[in-house]
Amino acid sequence: MGEFIGLSIAGLSLGAIYAIAASGLVVTYTTSGVFNFAHGAVGMLMAFLYWQLRVQDHWSAPAALVLTLLVAAPALGLVLERGLISRLNVNDTGTMLIVTVAVMVALMGIAYVIWPPSIGRLLPMFFGPNGHVSVDGELVSYEELISIGLAIATALGLRLFFHNTRTGVAMRGVVDDRQLMAMNGRSPQVLNALSWMIGAGFGALAGILTASTYSLDVINLTLLILNAFAAAMLGRLRNLPLTFVGAVVLGLADAYVTGYVRLTGWLVELVPVLPTLFLFIVLLALPAVRLRAGRAAVSKAIHVPSAGASLRNGVVLVVVAALIAPFMHGIALGNVNEGAALGIGALSIVLLSGYGGQLSFAQYAFFGFGAWLFRVLGHGGNPWALLVAAGAGALIGALMALPALRLRGLELALSTLAFGTLAWYMFLSQPQIIGGGDVTIPRLHLPGLSLQNDRVNLVFLAVVFALLSAGVLAIRRSRFGRILVATRDSDTACATLGLNLRLTKVALFALASAIATFGGAIYGSTQMIVTNTDFEYVSSLFIVLIVYVWGISTPGGALAGGMSLALAPLVEVHIPVRFQALTYFMTGLGALTILATPEGIVPLVSERLRRLNPLIGLRSRHTRDMSVGNEQLLARVEVSRATPADA
Amino acid sequence: MRTPALELMDVRAGYGGIEVLHGVDLVVPDGSLVALLGPNGAGKTTTLQVVDGRLLPSAGCVHIGGRHVNGTPAQRLARAGVCSIPEGRGVFPNLSVDENLLMVTQLHDDLAPSEVRERAFARFPNLANRRRLLAGSLSGGEQQMLAMARAIVTDPALLLIDEPSMGLAPVVVDAIYDVLKHLTAEGMTVLLVEQFANKAMSIADYAAVMINGRISVFCEPADLENVVGAYLGVSA
Repeated sequence: MGEFIGLSIAGLSLGAIYAIAASGLVVTYTTSGVFNFAHGAVGMLMAFLYWQLRVQDHWSAPAALVLTLLVAAPALGLVLERGLISRLNVNDTGTMLIVTVAVMVALMGIAYVIWPPSIGRLLPMFFGPNGHVSVDGELVSYEELISIGLAIATALGLRLFFHNTRTGVAMRGVVDDRQLMAMNGRSPQVLNALSWMIGAGFGALAGILTASTYSLDVINLTLLILNAFAAAMLGRLRNLPLTFVGAVVLGLADAYVTGYVRLTGWLVELVPVLPTLFLFIVLLALPAVRLRAGRAAVSKAIHVPSAGASLRNGVVLVVVAALIAPFMHGIALGNVNEGAALGIGALSIVLLSGYGGQLSFAQYAFFGFGAWLFRVLGHGGNPWALLVAAGAGALIGALMALPALRLRGLELALSTLAFGTLAWYMFLSQPQIIGGGDVTIPRLHLPGLSLQNDRVNLVFLAVVFALLSAGVLAIRRSRFGRILVATRDSDTACATLGLNLRLTKVALFALASAIATFGGAIYGSTQMIVTNTDFEYVSSLFIVLIVYVWGISTPGGALAGGMSLALAPLVEVHIPVRFQALTYFMTGLGALTILATPEGIVPLVSERLRRLNPLIGLRSRHTRDMSVGNEQLLARVEVSRATPADA
Repeated sequence: MRTPALELMDVRAGYGGIEVLHGVDLVVPDGSLVALLGPNGAGKTTTLQVVDGRLLPSAGCVHIGGRHVNGTPAQRLARAGVCSIPEGRGVFPNLSVDENLLMVTQLHDDLAPSEVRERAFARFPNLANRRRLLAGSLSGGEQQMLAMARAIVTDPALLLIDEPSMGLAPVVVDAIYDVLKHLTAEGMTVLLVEQFANKAMSIADYAAVMINGRISVFCEPADLENVVGAYLGVSA
């Protein structure tokens, strides 16, 4: 009985932390319409700030708490909202999500630079090591009781705030109609900023409680967001009472499974994926989202090269690879190879997100799956294994898409992250797969080519990339490609045209996953030695972010993204150790270029180059003439509309 | 002559490069009800949006109570006494009736929520039975009444109301117009946008007819028929 009570209280206190974190997420999301991926990172940064004040600078606990929770966290929330979020288009879920992912990465970078992870840090418990009471022989720490008490206070406080105060009711109302709120005399901007300040405050509270009850760790605290999200999803990110129920269920499940179930074999890593499993069950049980006529986020049209142009670009790429390969050696050669392989896999992101408008954060699960398949099937570097890998990837991708079809935008993107987490813990990290340290993978063998030589392999990768990107561009120009873009812009309109949305989305996910798995097999063959840490689920966030920065709608963006990921370590060694985490920071900052060029850097540059090119310059002048024509047409419309008045 | 409650001078405005208002001149005298009439797409709603701060005019002057207000955000105008009730029920569908009425008090800290409810329910007794229901679940007429409650309770200096009769049953339209009539009798200044001239003419002091982004006629209701009767299809 004592053990049961002890476990229950431990579970409730964990659930309490999830509940506090999730309420911050929900408050921000319901008011401003933005899912803040950096919510956990804000809490993480504030927990470190609290450690700095409390431990390094010997502040008293209340003073440090007041400064972090009531001053620093709201200020950070305010800066994020005013500086970034308010400048973005709320209807563009993808860009919105990517920007908050960028903020998350940047905040992680800040934390690593200020508080290097090489030093262990402990946050003292609020009432010292002896601060506990005994319940039926089980020790219950004050920490746990404080968490539970704070969660109850949060629940009651938010209930009162949102139903009994004018500001609280206004924050619920502003979601319905921003302009009407302004006409009622309340600034929607101020309400938005307020929701971010409150959200950040709760994030900070959850971060500090986690750090003082469990551990002070950048990654763990940042990824608290996933557990909070799972809890909030029970209330579809809007309903606070259901969010609390979700949080308590998660906390108790964690405690009881840890305490009562002896996990062996494949299930050893079950505890960390409990929230993910919970999320999947919730997603399957929730009613499907109905189609809604919404406003499509208008994006700049990206020039789609013709078949001839894409082949020409491909030849240029291969020639460049062949020219630089002989002069490369050592680590740099290895990293460029790795970048090319990642670029091939990243083409899946161009197809899925760039053309299809679906965000997936499970790319590395498919990379890892592909690498493992090639290890198992590719004896002696058998090239057929690549095709088998692609086929298997397509199958898994379609299976992943089936439950995901019920979801849209944000929910879909986050459920793919859940899938990626699940795949990493339950599959890739298993010792039978690639979880038992370094595993070797054969290098691909093609008759007549000595691919064992990294220089030859590099040229070969360039050929593969060129062919595959020509294929992706061909898909974009095909009927299927037009349906993809149309579905991205308005699935409601497509449904009314009689297009089969389900089939389109399943085909899209299957194709993209096939490319990702194929890329993973190529990656494995290129690296030859991999571990499960090469395919960590968090990396999926990074690669999507980087490809987004370079240009998510062009194959060039995929290549540049893969190269940036692989070449970063080459740059990092030239940076003083203290600042090596700056690359995180720079990644995050670089992603803020999304604000200036949402379509990415590669299209911007190639647009400039096209303008410089005299031959194609003629064509662009032609386009300008067209636009003049449009103006004349518009003028004519104006005239014809004006006629009734004259009559 | 007293300063007009609202004056537009050569106002131009549009959406993303497409101009909708091509120089609107309009005067709403203090204490009068001006009905803004015109066919679809003439720019009536755009005119209201320019006045209540939702849309920034690209040229011209908007004067409210003699003060230049171009570019003033909607919430500041609302606090200054401009009450705008947009087309299609100006209510928050996911808030309850009581909470919608509470939103009214965002304007005036001195207005007690209980007083707001009292005054609103005195005018529209059926809302009192629906207090805890979500506004989105009310009928169209009840939603329009709830939206009108803001005008009744806050006693604005200028009331802008966009197509209050749209999609409502005739008996409900009568009730809404009774309220408007009552408000103008008490001296409120109103700019009313309507597509159906008959109803509006019964309570208006002046009629302004808008065609293709300009005011083409401004006259008293009795003269309207002679001037553009045939065009608008008004029959006495």
